[in-house]
Amino acid sequence: MKRLLILVATLGLLGGAVAQTITVAQGADAVTLDPQGQNDQPSARVRAQIYDTLVVQNEDLELEPGLAESWEQVDDTTWIFNIRQGVEFHNGEELTADDVVFTFERLRDPEMASPSAFIVDFIESIEAVDEYTVELNTQYPFAPLLAHLSHNATSILNEEAVAEAGDDYGTEVAIGTGAFKFVSWQTANQIVLERNDNWWGGEVLPEQVIFRPIAEGTVRAIELETGGVDIAYALEPIDSQRLQGGSNPDVEIVSVETLSTAYLGFNAQQEPLDDVRVRQAINYAVDVESIVEAVYMGQAVPANSPISEAVFGANTDLEPYPYDPERARELLAEAGLEDGFSTSIWTNDNPLRIQIAEIVQAQLADVGIDAAVEVVEWGTYLAETAAGNHDMFILGWVTVTGDADYGLYALFHSSQYGDAGNRTFWSTPRVDELLEIGRTAQTEEERIEAYHEAQEIIREEAPWLFLLVTTEDNGIRSNIEGFVPHPAGHHRLFNVSKN
Amino acid sequence: MATTTIEKQSRFQAFWNGKTFVRLRRNPRFIWGTIVLGIIILSAVFAPQLSPYDPVRQNLVERLQGPSAEHLLGTDQFGRDLLSRILYGGRVSLQVGFLSVALALASGGLLGLLAGYFGGWLDSVIMAVSDVLLALPAFLLALAIVAALGPGITNVMIAVGISNVPIFARIVRSAVMSVREMDFVSAAMAAGSRHGRVMFRHIIPNSIGPIIVQVTLSLAGAILSAAGLSFLGMGAQPPTPEWGAMLNSAQQFYRVSHWVVTWPGIAIVVTVLALNLLGDGLRDAFDPRSD
Amino acid sequence: MFKYILRRTLMIIPVMFGVSIIVFSIMLLTPGDPARLMLGERAPEAQLEAIRERLGLNEPPHIQYVNWVSGVAQLDFGRSIRSNRPVINEIQQRLPATIELAVLATLLAVAIGIPVGVLSAMRPNSAGDNVATVTTFTMLAIPVFWQGLMMMIIFSVWLGWLPATGRGQSWQYYILPVVTLGTSAIASIARMTRSTMMETIKLDYVRTARSKGLSGMRVVYGHALRNALLPVVTIIGLQFGSLLSGAVITETIFSWPGIGSLAVDSMRAKDFPVVQGVVLVFAFAYAIVNLLVDIAYGFLDPRLATRYS
Repeated sequence: MKRLLILVATLGLLGGAVAQTITVAQGADAVTLDPQGQNDQPSARVRAQIYDTLVVQNEDLELEPGLAESWEQVDDTTWIFNIRQGVEFHNGEELTADDVVFTFERLRDPEMASPSAFIVDFIESIEAVDEYTVELNTQYPFAPLLAHLSHNATSILNEEAVAEAGDDYGTEVAIGTGAFKFVSWQTANQIVLERNDNWWGGEVLPEQVIFRPIAEGTVRAIELETGGVDIAYALEPIDSQRLQGGSNPDVEIVSVETLSTAYLGFNAQQEPLDDVRVRQAINYAVDVESIVEAVYMGQAVPANSPISEAVFGANTDLEPYPYDPERARELLAEAGLEDGFSTSIWTNDNPLRIQIAEIVQAQLADVGIDAAVEVVEWGTYLAETAAGNHDMFILGWVTVTGDADYGLYALFHSSQYGDAGNRTFWSTPRVDELLEIGRTAQTEEERIEAYHEAQEIIREEAPWLFLLVTTEDNGIRSNIEGFVPHPAGHHRLFNVSKN
Repeated sequence: MATTTIEKQSRFQAFWNGKTFVRLRRNPRFIWGTIVLGIIILSAVFAPQLSPYDPVRQNLVERLQGPSAEHLLGTDQFGRDLLSRILYGGRVSLQVGFLSVALALASGGLLGLLAGYFGGWLDSVIMAVSDVLLALPAFLLALAIVAALGPGITNVMIAVGISNVPIFARIVRSAVMSVREMDFVSAAMAAGSRHGRVMFRHIIPNSIGPIIVQVTLSLAGAILSAAGLSFLGMGAQPPTPEWGAMLNSAQQFYRVSHWVVTWPGIAIVVTVLALNLLGDGLRDAFDPRSD
Repeated sequence: MFKYILRRTLMIIPVMFGVSIIVFSIMLLTPGDPARLMLGERAPEAQLEAIRERLGLNEPPHIQYVNWVSGVAQLDFGRSIRSNRPVINEIQQRLPATIELAVLATLLAVAIGIPVGVLSAMRPNSAGDNVATVTTFTMLAIPVFWQGLMMMIIFSVWLGWLPATGRGQSWQYYILPVVTLGTSAIASIARMTRSTMMETIKLDYVRTARSKGLSGMRVVYGHALRNALLPVVTIIGLQFGSLLSGAVITETIFSWPGIGSLAVDSMRAKDFPVVQGVVLVFAFAYAIVNLLVDIAYGFLDPRLATRYS
């Protein structure tokens, strides 16, 4: 009898609107819940629930007040931020300007060696003016500043919690101001979060959120279909295509065009890829549509420029290179390579990239280019491409801040050769100049103009084989409501409920 | 273990006397293993003649098709003919198997020979190292070595080879130690024959039995390990058809077309089965006590 | 006997020491700068240098080794490069899942392998024996990763009977990984039991027992099996080693949160402290099992123990 009562009580809890658990599957376990630790997507997806940033970038990529209620740019290099009052951290501490200063100082600290330090490398100094006011000075006028302060790595930390936890911060302890509190973490199994009833941002619907790492995309799909999880992030194209067809009425696909571009970069200082005609020829020789179809099952858009159309400053007037092998052969002949040449395509062991490499390899063979595909271990890959020891390489880039500066400066500015991000070793003085204008100009119009021209030149000069902008297909159970995907991938879950 | 015990009579002579041959001829496992393995080797050798298509030629329109008259085993995610890829894949898998075992046999055999023949500190050192290597699960060792050397089929061969070295070192050592005690060898040593001469004229031919058995069984293991490493993405590079690598890249498509996963697996199973049967038959023949 | 056990136990120390040197050397030779892996596509030089300094990667190798080994001696395996979590915690969290898997697979293998082997040996070359032989040979030839995939296709996707991956609360989650991992062990144990049984059945005292009119089953279980068990115990120990190897792949396929998948993940991520810790644990587990096998051997066959003491 007692057991029956417990059972009834449990059922009541499960059925009630207040006590819902939302289970989310993603491709890998988080690494650390310290926002200034490893800068990886699975961690960011969890951290986005626990922490808040000064500025919030919403699902439409608009910048809204977050923990900073308002801000003001005093002069070219000085900003004042007014911190929201009465916000409590999960440990009961109140948020003050000191926590904000502590957060940025820690992120910038060379001793800390945070992988995300570059996000705030424009900061000259930051200090608390009073309990709720922070003054930030930049080294140079920096237009995309607000977008940077919405980056997950700038999540505001509680000084006391960090000091108390020491080395265990981010694995045993994670204290933020966000919609959910960190409860427990069984590595490779699950991370449990629970509702923060005092969240400054409003009501939080789920009682509990559980993140489960499931590496294989196909298996994530199976778990979703069998009801093992409520939401499955980033399904493989092959699965989302099947599910989109309505093969399972219990499952829906919510797609979002991401901020990430896939590209095949050329080493523009290596013969014969230093010849713009050869680079253009390769752009004409590859049928990107066929890659979109075969590798992404149509779940991607051919890229017309280096950045996704959703990014601020994207030039939407540009056309992708058409597939024209005839033109490719002409260009190669003009460059004196009518007999083709031998080269290599590097990729890391990402299955989609390997497939892209194989298709590009086969299509280049049609115009006489003999490209060997080499799958290179990730660390070596990064080191060797940074050193310029490559011919062609496949990589992706996520413009997390949603601002063209992040998507162009590191990749095409001459000061960024190698490790800093420009692995094609291509640049022109004009593009350098335009990217600097985009960074420092005061008006949005000036910035947009500069970025549009820069993208035109980049498309024409073709340091990349422009591939595609990916869409992320998230699967949800049909009874899930309120799930709005974020283009940057770290979807906010406070508004999700189950019917 | 049975394979390592040596009878007091000369194996070499028994071999030529035909007793072993007679036992082999009567052993169904040996016969079946030989026939199947023969077919596999022939189809790998004649892959260019037998394959209906170029194994790396893509045809994106015909992706992931089931078996049909044009494509007997269907096509993969790039529209490549699976039958052709399986046939060519046999070349890669067998080559990896043979070369890695050859490497293990040559280096492990030499170490075992030195350890068993000279004994003393050399023996202690060699055996200590082999103890340490044996203390690690073989696949994990191979995985770590490939991680260090970088992915690729050559490195897989080296890694699988190294992880097999201690087994051969031990088998050869114990074989050598027991042959060493035999009269005709002691006589040769006493008569002042040079070490090299004794080793190559007397010891090696007389310890050949267990070694052949171990070679066959290790071949099977090596093919499995190499396929496993390729499956984890550490082995053959695209577009090389290799069975484990085919499984690795086909994984995400198995719900749409299970053929891409089924055939390479069956190819591995049949090959390994043939080698195991052959090895077991050989063991029975060389050492009739077991079974 | 006690002396024998002590001696045998002490032998583990130099072996583990050797393993630590080998593991460390392999990691040293492994290309891939952890600092770069942390930073990814965008890695300013100053950042790279700061991270290398923090991780102690700028120290000469022998110093790094000494630092590491002296830590290990105090059960401090360092911290993961990626998560900054103590390696010992990572291992503690994930070891139980692997032990569960390996023990269940071993039990399964013994529960099926020994009876199959005994039955085969009682009626050699009968239809049943032949079926068992063909089946066990095939089981030995199936690659673990392929079997895992095929079982997932059949039992999760087509039939929908069992969950595909993960280590959930219910017993259903255990079936596919345990069967996948245990398959080759079932076959090895069945084959070894069969051949040792055949040998002992031929022995004089078993024949005598039979001629005395004891019933078939009693002879088999009372006499033959007991003597046949010795090699079977060895094979169970040896199998445990290949089970550990198999666990690496099985856990990867089934997203099983054990140390096998931890080994693969951390190797891919070049998280050296974790790789080193995991490999040491594997070697240690293997050594312990072999020790237990040897001790069991000593009890089952006292002649061996006296020879050592």
